[in-house]
Amino acid sequence: MIRLENVTKRYGDTLAVDSVSFEVPEGEVCVLIGPSGCGKTTTLRMINRLIEPTSGAIEVDGRDVMSVKPEELRRHIGYVIQSIGLFPHLTVADNIATVPRLLGWNDAKIEPRVTELLELFGLAPNEYAGKYPRQLSGGEAQRVGVARALAADPPLLLMDEPFGAVDPLTRDRLQMEFARIQRELRKTVIFVTHDVDEAIRLADRIALLRDGRLQQYDTPEELLDHPANKFVHDFMGADRALKRLGRVRVGEVMRTEIEIARIGDEGAIDRTACVEERFVYLVDGAGVLRGWVDCDDLDEGLPAEDAITEIDWREGSVGPDVSLKEALSVMMGLGFRSVPVTERGRLLGEVTLSGIESTMTQADTHIAHTAAPESEPA
Amino acid sequence: MLPFVEFRANRIVSGEPNGVVSAGAWGWLLVAACALALAASLAPKRWRSTALLAGGAAVLGLLPWALGAAAVSLQHDAPSAARVSIGGGAWLVLVGGAVVWFDGGRGVPTRVRLGAAVAALVVLSASFMWGGVPELSLAKEYAVQQARFWQLVAEHLYLSGAGLGFGALIGVPLGVLASRNRVVRNITLSVVGIIQTVPSLALLGLLVIPLSLIGLPGIGSLPAVIALTLYALLPIVRNTYVGLAGVDRAALDAGRGMGMGRAQLLLRVEAPLAMPLVLEGVRAAAVLVIGIAAVTAFVGAGGLGILVFLGWGQQADDLTMLGALPMVVLAVVADAGMRMIARLVVSPGIRGEAA
Repeated sequence: MIRLENVTKRYGDTLAVDSVSFEVPEGEVCVLIGPSGCGKTTTLRMINRLIEPTSGAIEVDGRDVMSVKPEELRRHIGYVIQSIGLFPHLTVADNIATVPRLLGWNDAKIEPRVTELLELFGLAPNEYAGKYPRQLSGGEAQRVGVARALAADPPLLLMDEPFGAVDPLTRDRLQMEFARIQRELRKTVIFVTHDVDEAIRLADRIALLRDGRLQQYDTPEELLDHPANKFVHDFMGADRALKRLGRVRVGEVMRTEIEIARIGDEGAIDRTACVEERFVYLVDGAGVLRGWVDCDDLDEGLPAEDAITEIDWREGSVGPDVSLKEALSVMMGLGFRSVPVTERGRLLGEVTLSGIESTMTQADTHIAHTAAPESEPA
Repeated sequence: MLPFVEFRANRIVSGEPNGVVSAGAWGWLLVAACALALAASLAPKRWRSTALLAGGAAVLGLLPWALGAAAVSLQHDAPSAARVSIGGGAWLVLVGGAVVWFDGGRGVPTRVRLGAAVAALVVLSASFMWGGVPELSLAKEYAVQQARFWQLVAEHLYLSGAGLGFGALIGVPLGVLASRNRVVRNITLSVVGIIQTVPSLALLGLLVIPLSLIGLPGIGSLPAVIALTLYALLPIVRNTYVGLAGVDRAALDAGRGMGMGRAQLLLRVEAPLAMPLVLEGVRAAAVLVIGIAAVTAFVGAGGLGILVFLGWGQQADDLTMLGALPMVVLAVVADAGMRMIARLVVSPGIRGEAA
């Protein structure tokens, strides 16, 4: 748990951070967001004392950070920065082992830990452990950066725009991966970003800052639905219903009662299956999605063999961890009202437009409750 | 045409030029090797490096044999005071052979390069034993000076080593301080820069007064080592500073954020990252100091400079050569040695970026 109380940082005459207070419960992700120069990075860096606060108190797990030696404090707080800062002269394994070595772990303990972390981030240990940072792609380097921060298993993780310097596709993948790992590890995370979509996707709570002042600190839903002032409303953006979809994972709303047939057996498709379902999905022996049969085509009298659409699961399906927003976009791209959900090709279910619509309606009702925020004092 | 060797009636009269013909069969073999080395540059790409290396090695290997043969044949009927010196043509062949050798050496694996070096050394040693090389004037000068020569080499090594050692001991910490503090940086970098512009003889002269004031000798090895230390400072201080200043800010921030203290940051992050440039500075200082150590012979510090000055005084060119050539060899060996150390010490993750 982290608690900030009236934390202030003054540089000469300017207040970089002005009496900010908030509390992050254990195991939650708190995203600090705001326009550049709002004090979010300064706030983050005061937590591990890379910057000393001018006044106020910061507590980590009930202990005042000012009572701990800075080096000692930092060794128990994971730290990830946008420019990653991997040590170019050390191998990936040695980079990850940095904090464990500072803490005096022996090699017998460090080595399995490094292997474990590389595996957690999907980097084959025997391939990556011996590589040097300059041999890594941007996404791989950022994964190693996060792995390094987690090496000594700190309860608290500070991340300063960790996915800011990679291309949008890689950022997407890294966010998904981070969300997956966070669900597993349940760290207390302070995450700085200026990307609203990223904040909504990853945050349990968002702290929105402007000119060093905390504007609102609440769940993403509350910031979207009940913005405290016009600035919060404007900053969160217009397409709030869509943004809410960014918070819901496909796995949470997908239907699993779908009609499935073995590919090659489509002749045996029970016509009754088409009464309730538009699509009958085709899988191979391993359960991997290979295509579908459109019941509308069967109804028009086409033989089943000709009604098959064969697809590659990499293009014609979504994973359970992607957001509804992305599922919607894939759906639009394919031109259908539903899209199959697969994990590594294995068919899990489908997500439909009507399913998304019902999620959206909930969001809409929330928004309807929000009385014209423009009229509220800023 | 430059003469291959020069024949003198005694060691100080000017010589009469003699062509490569005077070396007989060895001379023709050398000519053939030169032609082959030149032709090697036309070889197909796949074999070019190997061919060049082989050509260079053949030229360098045959050169001492040809020189020896020429010395033997020219002095055959001459009085015992007669000398045969290495002529401009032979020096040119030496330089040309070395250039071809290095050019070829860049394109072959280290194994092959080392093999070629060992082979050349064997051929060279053999030419001393059986090839008439001892008949050359240079070798005769060496024979006369033998005991002294090695002592001078040792002195030269001691002077350069001490200057370089103290230069590194003082220069590296100064470079670290310069990277930490702007005032220290401005003062240090300009002072070592000014020292570098003072001619070496003038610096030795300037040292006499302050040394005598504190009761220390103004001549001998003490002022020499002080002067050499001062000259070694510039490349070492500057490269240490530049190396540290060039360390990625993100790596420093990450290191600090993970709980490294100042000393840990310096030892675990900054030092290894600045290492290529620091070693490059030490390498430059080593070559510089070996050269300047020759001048310190003037203040009675000894070293190979003694032979150079003796040779000049006696107008005995070969004696001058006996002092100058080992200095060149020392400088080349120091240079190669430092490069090898850099290869061993610098992490493969940053190799080839700075040096």
